[in-house]
Amino acid sequence: MNDSDDILRTVERLVVEVAGDELLVAGPITLTTSFNGDLELESIEFVALAEKLQQHYGGGVDFVGWISKKELDQIIALTVGELVEFIASCRS
Amino acid sequence: MPIVATAGRATHVQELGAGPAVVMIHGLLIGSLASWYFTAAPQLARAHRVRVYDLRGHGRSERAKTGYDTRTLAEDLDAVAADLREPFDLVGHSWGGLVALRYAIEHPARVRRLAVVEAPLPPSSALQMASFLADNEQLPARLIDALPTPLREAVASGRRQAQRLMKSLEFLALESSLLADVRGEPDFTDAELARVTAPTLLVYGGSSGCAPAGERLAGVVPHARHVVLPGGHYLHLDARESLARELEEFLA
Repeated sequence: MNDSDDILRTVERLVVEVAGDELLVAGPITLTTSFNGDLELESIEFVALAEKLQQHYGGGVDFVGWISKKELDQIIALTVGELVEFIASCRS
Repeated sequence: MPIVATAGRATHVQELGAGPAVVMIHGLLIGSLASWYFTAAPQLARAHRVRVYDLRGHGRSERAKTGYDTRTLAEDLDAVAADLREPFDLVGHSWGGLVALRYAIEHPARVRRLAVVEAPLPPSSALQMASFLADNEQLPARLIDALPTPLREAVASGRRQAQRLMKSLEFLALESSLLADVRGEPDFTDAELARVTAPTLLVYGGSSGCAPAGERLAGVVPHARHVVLPGGHYLHLDARESLARELEEFLA
């Protein structure tokens, strides 16, 4: 399992912790799954996810700094793949 | 520190960044700490320790049947900020702006600087921002019938976010004292407003119904700067970058 797969499964596990496993009824989360359009996460759930990611990956993953550079419509359209890529880039 | 106990109640708190403390308060009903978390907070966090929290009954904070008046919410704020030793900066949107104002009047030694964004005056006019709730004193048995059409369609289509927002609104509007508290909130007197000692930034949207409140505050609050940005009531969304820039400069 490479780094990207590993991060993807971690994101999926944390999404389920935050919002419940009924989010996976349509199938497992993939890199093209969007947080808003597909998973329909509430913004406050997304905050909870960010907190869990920060706890899991530590201070090296500056999620808030990353978000601050994004336009609102980019945040709304955010996909799991973009998040995975960001985390992978912090770890490399 | 995601969940802290404030006066025996669970309050959802998040912190971003490091530096002098800034506490940010969101507006009622559709607001949550996410309102700031995804807008101005990350930018301020470059040079500040930014603390955002969910008001009682909102977001992931514990539900509360009562206590949505500015005095009770200012007490909640005092508990949320209890561990901050130095005076801190305070930023509030809409009803959160009124809570910030109330706190600055009652705890002048605790507030370093105050930024009030789109706070409505008189406070009871806040319901005009949620006109679907203000139109009828007697709400329909099913709140969904009172919703604006796009939201009603989103709820009907089974969208998860809309369903969850609906549940939250139903609780706040039908099972809590929120609407009665807003309607019963007395206006701030000029004498009260003149007691604000902190340097104050007033930010209002040019096309917002709250704009006259900004003009009144600018005339009465002693050390106030009044800024009008293009946008409506939800200025953190309508003017996300320029609002963040104004706050960043004011709190520099």
